Amino acid sequence: MKKIAAEILREYGPFPGVDGVNGVSFDGRRVWFASGDTLSAFDPDSGETLRTLDVASDAGTAFDGTYLYQIADAVIRKIDPETGDILHTIPAPGNGGDSGLAWAEGTLWVGEHRSCRIHQVDPDTGEILRSIESDRFVTGVTWVDGELWHGTWQDNESDIRRIDPRTGEVLLSVEMPSGDGVSGLESDGGDRFFCGGGDRAIVRAVSRPRTADAER
Amino acid sequence: MDSLIVAAARALSLGDPLAALKRVGLREDAPSLALRGIAMAQLGDVARARALLRSAARAFGSREPVARARCVVAEAEIALVSRDLGWAMDALDGARAVLEASGDRVNAAHARYLGARRLLLIGQLDEAERRLDGLDAGALRPSSRAGCWLVAAGIAMRRVRTKPARAALDRAARAAREAGIPALIAEVERTVRAFEAPAARLVSRDRERLLGLGAVEALLASDALIVDACRNVARRGSDRVSLASRPVLFALLRALAEAWPGDAPRETLLRRAFGARHADDSHRARLRVEIARLREEIGPLAGLTATKRGFALQPVATETVAVLAPPVESDHAQVLALLADGEAWSSSALALALGVSPRTVQRALDALAGAGKVESFGRGRARRWTAPQIPGFPTSLLLPASTFNR
Repeated sequence: MKKIAAEILREYGPFPGVDGVNGVSFDGRRVWFASGDTLSAFDPDSGETLRTLDVASDAGTAFDGTYLYQIADAVIRKIDPETGDILHTIPAPGNGGDSGLAWAEGTLWVGEHRSCRIHQVDPDTGEILRSIESDRFVTGVTWVDGELWHGTWQDNESDIRRIDPRTGEVLLSVEMPSGDGVSGLESDGGDRFFCGGGDRAIVRAVSRPRTADAER
Repeated sequence: MDSLIVAAARALSLGDPLAALKRVGLREDAPSLALRGIAMAQLGDVARARALLRSAARAFGSREPVARARCVVAEAEIALVSRDLGWAMDALDGARAVLEASGDRVNAAHARYLGARRLLLIGQLDEAERRLDGLDAGALRPSSRAGCWLVAAGIAMRRVRTKPARAALDRAARAAREAGIPALIAEVERTVRAFEAPAARLVSRDRERLLGLGAVEALLASDALIVDACRNVARRGSDRVSLASRPVLFALLRALAEAWPGDAPRETLLRRAFGARHADDSHRARLRVEIARLREEIGPLAGLTATKRGFALQPVATETVAVLAPPVESDHAQVLALLADGEAWSSSALALALGVSPRTVQRALDALAGAGKVESFGRGRARRWTAPQIPGFPTSLLLPASTFNR
């Protein structure tokens, strides 16, 4: 496994009235983050908060192109980002031990924190389609350009790692400075990751290393 | 963190332990055990809370040293609140070192504050102050900042320093309001009342007068010869003679000081020192021996002269003699003073705090219980003692600490 140090591009926040960031997603225009009682969206260019929905949000957040998905307690809820209405609810695969959430190719990917696993889940039924093992506690999960990335956060040490979705092998580890936890992870589809700041009320933009970096 | 842990932690921070238990009550992983422990502590089941936090620390193990250290700190805090002072400081210091090294300033500072608070309770003022000095106060949560200023106020009060005590209490009150926790605000108010209540009684031949802490401080700074019955010492300025282990000599000295500038009749001295109702020859002989011993002990501070009917105190290098006594004098006043904080104490914690043997404390507790002044609940090691709150009963000068030697 190759390791490189994370390049932090920008910090958003601290957001007032927020204790910590539990999940992060990106809808192409706005960055959404989960903070317990609310889902908030901000503009990644201006940093300005655009929208706040009153939704229970204890862990990961995802976006399927139209709707948001949000983990709270032991369920995953499908939410209309314009109205905040809950459209559908499925059980979370880790039965509440769930952390990160990502959308890719018609399925949900759910990190199970202390079990160090990522589950692929049917978004209609909640059925587990398959599971990948990691060797660290999984926080956020995201897919970009066919690459599966997940955050880890274990005892004050955190990294963002790219793994082989078939074998779970770690291909690259982007290490965060000690104490900077990653809770929630989402790619902007380009060169940036948005990372939840853990127990701090911030979201960090971290540079996504190009595949060439990883293979150098 | 996973979904239920985050939800449970949020419930706990909002003071809703039942909502937290609903989420993690059946889980056995390390973070769940820790949150269950904190929930049980909020619900008042201290024993269960400590057992859970200990299991959590074990479950985190060496793979997650920072999380384990946080459990150790939480357990120490619960022990402190339940007045169990017997725990090892080493474990807390070790946890603090781990937290400091990992950059967890908030919990590291909290651990340091807890250590200082325990040291204050057991009367180790110097060591408590050293810990406060090294404390990163800016990192503390408002709730622990209030506690931290209470420790600083407690140290200043035990050392009879009014100004810093007042300043620390003001800061404690501000931090408690900022934290918005009613119990904490009440604790600060209780300490302010203790600070403003009479700290000692000035006893002289004709009258008695209650003194506030400021008046005690002024008296200690004067050149008077002070016979201090809170601590069984005689002092003038920085010179002091301790008679803590010589109760007969101290009783004689106190009787002589209370009679000053006159003399104390033999009958009075015999009654005060030996409880003798009448004076026979053997009593007189024994009095002569004890007076000779006392003369030797307090030589630098005062002389003793024989008078027609007894003895008189002749202070050296001062024109004033003052007797300082506890505001309320009763048997086992020190034990009552500690219990007056309204908390439940174990007898071993009382023994630690008073610096006496557990047997001595047990005898005092049995006597007080017989007189209906204290109550106990629980059995064996879990037995705890409480006293009905006595309003305004001061604890300041009664705590066994090296107050007057500084």
